[in-house]
Amino acid sequence: MEGRARVTIWLGRHILPHEADLRAWLKQSFANAGDVDDIIQETYCRLAALTQIDHIEHPRSYFFQAARSVALEQLRRARVVRIETVSEMESLNLILDDPSAERVVSGRRELERVRGLIAALPDRCRRIVEMRKIEGLPQREIARRLGVTENIVENESVRGLRAILAAITEQDAPARAKRPRVSSDGRSRKRR
Amino acid sequence: MVDRESAADIDAAAARWVVRADRDGDDPGFQAELEAWLAADRRRSGAYARAQAGWKHLDRSSVLAPTVSGGSRLRRRSIIAGLGAMAAGVTAAVVVPRLLVRRYGTTLGEIRRVPMADGSVAAINTDSEVEVSLRPRLRAVRLARGEAWFEVAKDPVRPFVVESGPVRVRAVGTAFSVRRREGGSDVLVTEGVVEVWTRDGGAPPRRVSAGERVFAENDAGVLTPPKADADLGRQLAWRDGQIVLDGQTLAEAAAEFNRYNDRKIEVADARLADKRFVGWFRINDPEGFAQAAAATFHGQITQREDAIILRAASGS
Repeated sequence: MEGRARVTIWLGRHILPHEADLRAWLKQSFANAGDVDDIIQETYCRLAALTQIDHIEHPRSYFFQAARSVALEQLRRARVVRIETVSEMESLNLILDDPSAERVVSGRRELERVRGLIAALPDRCRRIVEMRKIEGLPQREIARRLGVTENIVENESVRGLRAILAAITEQDAPARAKRPRVSSDGRSRKRR
Repeated sequence: MVDRESAADIDAAAARWVVRADRDGDDPGFQAELEAWLAADRRRSGAYARAQAGWKHLDRSSVLAPTVSGGSRLRRRSIIAGLGAMAAGVTAAVVVPRLLVRRYGTTLGEIRRVPMADGSVAAINTDSEVEVSLRPRLRAVRLARGEAWFEVAKDPVRPFVVESGPVRVRAVGTAFSVRRREGGSDVLVTEGVVEVWTRDGGAPPRRVSAGERVFAENDAGVLTPPKADADLGRQLAWRDGQIVLDGQTLAEAAAEFNRYNDRKIEVADARLADKRFVGWFRINDPEGFAQAAAATFHGQITQREDAIILRAASGS
């Protein structure tokens, strides 16, 4: 149980924030592999089955590699000729080469981002998520304080969770991809 | 052929299961339902893990919640209410220095001393995990597992808060240890004053002073007032790699050694288990302890690869 809880926290902290980039890359590289959503779910299924995470030094790379093998398997299963094109390999290497991306999640920034995401929820939904996640109140108590049914609290929580998941994993994908770095050309930076 | 459930539908359902699990997670009926749902499609397990990760991730926002002295629940709540507005402000703020969350772990038997950037020092006991994140207004430490002692550098504008499950311990400049146990956390204060409370805020923060100890229950917080304990130095001898016994029973002593060593001591005899013992030992020398105990109480030792068994000598 302890181990599973750790994996869950690890997923939230080190995997989830890279999902947007992964989705963008999958769309580009594996248009034939079927639904990107399916690949993502299958990938999470494999990561969730991990019992050890301490050996994973670069979660982002690990995530991409896992998704890549899921995608390739789906291609095989669909009996599409397996074309591991040069461009696919190259684009993976390019993405994994960017050392700053690996750190995106670990900073204070991520914490603020989480708070920002909660703050951006619609009013009642935000209030409920705050009470649950920040104040740690049980559902029944939240319902009592707000004078609504527990059912509403549950629905709003679900709504909040989905909105936040979407925000973490989709909406800011272009923003992150385009975020300027110290030197805007990642490749020229490597050897200097 | 049955229609294939869409990924979006699975995601939606997974979010609901996660929220429900947060409330009914311990209910066996619910567990069974959830297992059945998950088992029907691998993608569901993936979606569930993902949603659960997102939900859990939101807990990160709670580290900074109650750091208020005085224990007025009202004040705390109004601060929390202002959090949304604050978060928006913070996000818009100018460039902040990159602050990493640093994680320190120890394996069985390992004890680590970790100096922190603010001048504080942590001593991390066996089989423990600690995360440290030093922020401009808060020094946040999470004890994920095990035990650690902290010598906190004074900094009145940057409280030092240890999160041990739902239990919180706050200090400004002081020295104390926190140990996670089943159902709650032990807090031992060797210097200064700390405040202890739980995330759920059932009871107001409790002040614990140098020389005192307190046990904070995960559900109910601090129920019994802090107790003076003249024995704290002995209990913190692990910081120097020692186990010091001063009238503990052999059963207690064995449990203490077993925290540090793969080779476990078993006191296989009830008559021995209650005997009280005095002595000074290296943490990694369970054999030395067993021999000393056997010699004192007419016991005998059986050595196995994974265990040292201590029982009363035959005929005694």
